[in-house]
Amino acid sequence: MRDTIVIGAGLSGLMGALALADAGRRPLVLAKGQGAMQWAAGTIDVWGAANGSLRAALGELITTDPGHPYARAGAAGVEAAIDRFRALMESARYPYVGSLERNVLLPTALGALRPAAFFPATMAAGDMRLGGAAHAGPPLLLAGFHELRDFFPPMAAENLTGQGIPARGVYLTLPPIARRLDFNTRVFAQLFDDPAFREDVGRQLRAARGDATRIGLPAVLGLRDPLGAVAHLQALSGAQIFEIPTLPPSVPGMRLFTIFREAIVKAGGRLQIGAEVLRGEGADGALTAVYSAAAAREQTHRANLFLLATGGVAGGGVRTDHTGSTWETALGLPLQAPGGRGEWFAPRFLNEAGHPIYRAGIATNPQLQPLDAAGAVVYRNVAVSGAALAGSDPIRERCYSGMALATGWRAGQILSSEL
Amino acid sequence: MTHDHIELSLEQSLDHCIKCNICTAACPVSAVTDLFPGPKYVGPQGQRFRMPGQPSPDESVDYCSGCRVCNEVCPTGVRVMELNTRAKAAIVEQNGLPLRAWLLGYQYWFGKLACGPLAPLANFGASNPLLRTVVERTVKIGRKAPLPKFSTYSFRSWFKQRTKSQASKTAAVPDGSQSTAPGSRKQVVYFHGCSTNYYEPHVGQAAVEVLERNGFEVIVAKQGCCGLPLLSNGAFKQARSHHEYNVEQLLPYAQRGIPIIGTSTSCTLTIKEEASELLGMHETAVRMVAENTYDIFEFLRLLHDRGELNTDFKPVQRSMPYHAPCQLRAHNLGRPALDILELVPGLQLSESTAACCGLAGTYGYKAEKYQIAMDVGAGLFDFVRASGSDTAVCDSEICRWQIAHGSGLEVKHPIEILREAYG
Amino acid sequence: MRTIDTDVLVIGGGATGVGVLRDLALRGIRAALVEKGDLTHGTTGRYHGLLHSGGRYVVKDKQSASECAVENEILRRIMPHCLEDTGGFFVVTPADDEAYVPLFLKGCQETGVSVHEIAVREALRREPLLNPRISRAFEVRDGSADSFLATHSNAEDAVRHGAQVLTYHVVTGLERTGDRVTGAVCEDMRSGETVHIHTSYIVNAAGAWAGKIAELAGVKVTVVPGKGTMVAMNHRVLNTVVNRCKPPADGDIIVPIHTVAVIGTTDVHVPDPDVFGIEAWEVERMLSEGEQLVPGISKARVLRAWAGVRPLYKDQDVADDRDIPRTYKLLDHEARDGVKGMISMVGGKWTTYRMMAQEATDAVAAKLGIQAECRTHLEPLPIPAGAERKAGLYWLGKPLAAIEADSSYGHLICECELVTRERVVDAITSGKAANIDDIRRDTRLGMGPCQGGFCTYRAAALWHELKPATPPANDPPHGHAGNSVALLRHFLQERWKGLTVIAWGDQLRQARLDEIIYLDTLGLDLLPAPAPAEQNGAEMVTAHPAIATEYHAA
Repeated sequence: MRDTIVIGAGLSGLMGALALADAGRRPLVLAKGQGAMQWAAGTIDVWGAANGSLRAALGELITTDPGHPYARAGAAGVEAAIDRFRALMESARYPYVGSLERNVLLPTALGALRPAAFFPATMAAGDMRLGGAAHAGPPLLLAGFHELRDFFPPMAAENLTGQGIPARGVYLTLPPIARRLDFNTRVFAQLFDDPAFREDVGRQLRAARGDATRIGLPAVLGLRDPLGAVAHLQALSGAQIFEIPTLPPSVPGMRLFTIFREAIVKAGGRLQIGAEVLRGEGADGALTAVYSAAAAREQTHRANLFLLATGGVAGGGVRTDHTGSTWETALGLPLQAPGGRGEWFAPRFLNEAGHPIYRAGIATNPQLQPLDAAGAVVYRNVAVSGAALAGSDPIRERCYSGMALATGWRAGQILSSEL
Repeated sequence: MTHDHIELSLEQSLDHCIKCNICTAACPVSAVTDLFPGPKYVGPQGQRFRMPGQPSPDESVDYCSGCRVCNEVCPTGVRVMELNTRAKAAIVEQNGLPLRAWLLGYQYWFGKLACGPLAPLANFGASNPLLRTVVERTVKIGRKAPLPKFSTYSFRSWFKQRTKSQASKTAAVPDGSQSTAPGSRKQVVYFHGCSTNYYEPHVGQAAVEVLERNGFEVIVAKQGCCGLPLLSNGAFKQARSHHEYNVEQLLPYAQRGIPIIGTSTSCTLTIKEEASELLGMHETAVRMVAENTYDIFEFLRLLHDRGELNTDFKPVQRSMPYHAPCQLRAHNLGRPALDILELVPGLQLSESTAACCGLAGTYGYKAEKYQIAMDVGAGLFDFVRASGSDTAVCDSEICRWQIAHGSGLEVKHPIEILREAYG
Repeated sequence: MRTIDTDVLVIGGGATGVGVLRDLALRGIRAALVEKGDLTHGTTGRYHGLLHSGGRYVVKDKQSASECAVENEILRRIMPHCLEDTGGFFVVTPADDEAYVPLFLKGCQETGVSVHEIAVREALRREPLLNPRISRAFEVRDGSADSFLATHSNAEDAVRHGAQVLTYHVVTGLERTGDRVTGAVCEDMRSGETVHIHTSYIVNAAGAWAGKIAELAGVKVTVVPGKGTMVAMNHRVLNTVVNRCKPPADGDIIVPIHTVAVIGTTDVHVPDPDVFGIEAWEVERMLSEGEQLVPGISKARVLRAWAGVRPLYKDQDVADDRDIPRTYKLLDHEARDGVKGMISMVGGKWTTYRMMAQEATDAVAAKLGIQAECRTHLEPLPIPAGAERKAGLYWLGKPLAAIEADSSYGHLICECELVTRERVVDAITSGKAANIDDIRRDTRLGMGPCQGGFCTYRAAALWHELKPATPPANDPPHGHAGNSVALLRHFLQERWKGLTVIAWGDQLRQARLDEIIYLDTLGLDLLPAPAPAEQNGAEMVTAHPAIATEYHAA
């Protein structure tokens, strides 16, 4: 009943669906579950290694590595995608700030400084370049709760201090009314949606603040109106408040998913979560239908255009087994992957170049159409985006979210106008 | 064959768990109560500590409502809810079936007794606060939980009466030569389920009329309770006999390729998947019945895909909130009711994003879980009320009762709306 | 430099060494033990966890079989909290020769190994995933054993009776006065300090490393390090130990232990017990042989692979290392080599550790002229605090029952293996742990499906909060938290070693999620970490050459 299908509901698939909706189509998004957004920090990482201008770094990358997914999106495509993404977030009162001029450094829950190009305004005060040299500014305060097992302020603070950014870590006391047996990030986000809870936390922050002018809290400051929650806490504490991403499930990821879902549904799109695409069916070089798992029998979805955004090894688009086989899970497209299992890994976990298996993906032409080993287009009405693409290890390159947005957007545009 | 040996086992799906806790973050029950630690904890995580023949180590699994939101959001395909239900069944096997579970599991007996002329009396009892308090104290069925009203007539009696008056079709198993005779109409079997029969015959009436509008002869086959209330209360042994009975009754139709259509999303889900999966029934007959069973809007959507749906709709100038119930979502079919109803001119349905109404089968009827169910459903009630409509739409009977109870709106099955559109 | 005086020094903190220490202590003999790593750092912590019925040895190694049968019953009495009574099957698969059956049954009878045949139908009822094509099934008294907990329990009891345990003390030399060994020189690897231990007698219980220790006394002991590689399945595909009924070979056993099922093992002679790798063919062999027992197992999720080195004592020419008897041997170096003051206890297996300890202790007591009788077979081991709540045999659901009883889901640091904050805190503050890997041995933290993905960060942070040591004065940039970063890196690397050979399917996906956590969200790779040299003075030991067992992929 819908002529456009997006497979995958991560950042890339939903960005693609948004592009399709913008172009007047009513995409159906099929996804096995909710995924990658809730695993990641919620920032838009465009290119982690860039020292200066990200535009310059992207320009260079596109020239030197034409097989890279960014080269498929093109420099203009990256900018357009980010603009559209920011407009959506702005309209949802969850604005992203940042620029392609340079990366900022945001503290992690471990106290590392990680580069990001764009980030929710709720994280903005964590920019460690603010106030000039980090070494000179007043000390930061990091505050958390013993009950939240995924954020430990003292360790993060001491690691920041070790890098020349004086910081203190403290634990706050949960208001008694909120005491529960089990906590996760979602439970905390619900608590922070409640102004009374924030009042209590804000009072504690004011008391603990000392000479700190900036306070870092775990990224759980509400699901309904995080920006309002941050403003409220700032007013109460007398300091700038910023969020620090924690372990999965990520609250910033939940916010993103909700915003995308609402925008796509509002534009006439539909999300079908829980529907794993098992296979496709083609004729004359075009994909004609995909089949998703359903109770008792598969569900058939016929359409004219398809966007494949099922992710890589993590997202589930690339699967492997003990014989060393690798395959693309939804449509059985040919993969570009390292040889036998002996070639998959480096001996060190933190190996700088990463592990070859994570570069496995689908090779495409500049139109993001999937190619076979001989370089021929497999299905002319399919575009591929995100971590399912070959040619990148987006975690090591710190371009996970930027690449997802850019290629998702580009794929959506290609499908709606060029194919 | 032997290679699939290990993969047949439902428990193996725990191997897909990568501990990401997305299920726990999405679980509507653990969001509102401490008594349920979350689907990952009692599902794929707890499962590694369970062993046949040993005591069940975690009774908190009883607080799983069985709504399957965990299954829906799991990015790796763990059958969390089924793991939980099996764990519940192990507890039942160990401790026996409590009286309350028996009452909830065999509720159709009350329907048999009370539906019809005695309905007003039974309804008086069911809505009498004093009696409900006594029931809550004795068998711990929540006194405020939304018990449906018994109908003064059953769907089957209506259908029989109607058939008689039309002096035509019988509900007998077709013997082949007759039904495929030239000129005979296309046939479907209607699986009405207990709730349509005893509480909401009007839903069945609407379904029959819609199917007839599409040129089908509707057969109401012999059928029993699908067994889901028993399954979800861990009474696997008892549920098995129900499923066996229904398979036996429905098989002859399935063998002839006559679709089995249901309006109760939970009954159809049970026949399609839940019973066979939970009870490990993989016989050909079971599979054949499952593969021939359809939710009514799934069926209508297939007709539409083939260009066979009667789309002669009259405009319905209404805006209403719609909730896709968990039981429907577990069919993994998307939103078939929305897909069809959006063909009706003038009709505007706005879909809720609430995870669950809270009641989840028999869960919210249990006194200690009543408030949890209401808290789970609170977001949905707010959404429905905020719509400004006096009517909401939902495919599942249990959810309709709960939404009506929580929001005060009238709640209809989408098939009733569609029937309206046929004028 | 420190000096310690003791009557007996035990070298080696595995099952045997700690068993000797407890036996000495119970007899009132003053004793100390040195171990170069953490307790169970060597072979004891790297075996499949089988409590032998003896059935595996009844044909080729009857003495071992009898010893196992006897000790099995004793251990069930003295350490029920460390043992799970899984029961065991010997099954004849289509790939096995039924002609072995009469030999097997005859061997059981001769060695006192209790066995009885059960109907195949019954075996399949109890283990539904077992190969339905098995032709016969025999039941034995196999079980599974928590060798970490058993060793800790032994050590605790020994300490309670006056013994000393010095972990992270590597023996760098043995002191000889004439023809007598009189002491040992050790290095405390945490502080770099030299420790002199004066003693009347040394028990060399260094297992696969016993040859290296003997060499320090100028004595030649040939121990063949027989590497065995094992793979752990993500969950208990079986709840009964299942053996192939055939002469012992690669991959012929599956042991359910705690939450996993272990397929074991290969047997490969390696030149050095400190340098060995897991080879791809070994993993493939485990899976392909495992298919004979549980069809489809090679498609199931593998959690991890690891290898340990058997301490096989070679005192004669045997063609195949698998033919070296698994029984133990007490070497009296005075009688054998003319070197007084030292015995070596070599060979053996975990199940017979107590018997070995008893024999070694009897010998030492005789040398020292002490009459006290062995009591280790009579006195139950204490249950370490926090490890278990109730006495009685371990059962699979016990940890979950404990979490459920306390509603402590919210306190889980390691969610996969149900390790609470309380237990991690205990492990850190006990002072015994030098790194997160030691906490793992104590608590099972990080041993579940996510292999440390979530808990490593939490454990490192708790460590940081509980050990607020003063940062080294000359190293302000890293501070003390640099230590927690090093801990994190170390443990993730330790876990990685066991993953690379088995990471495919779901486990590869898990490994990638772990990368997302540590790189994308936490930026671990962006943090400056102290160089290994700077760790001296801190409280962890990770890169010391003596204990940094590296797997060199072949």
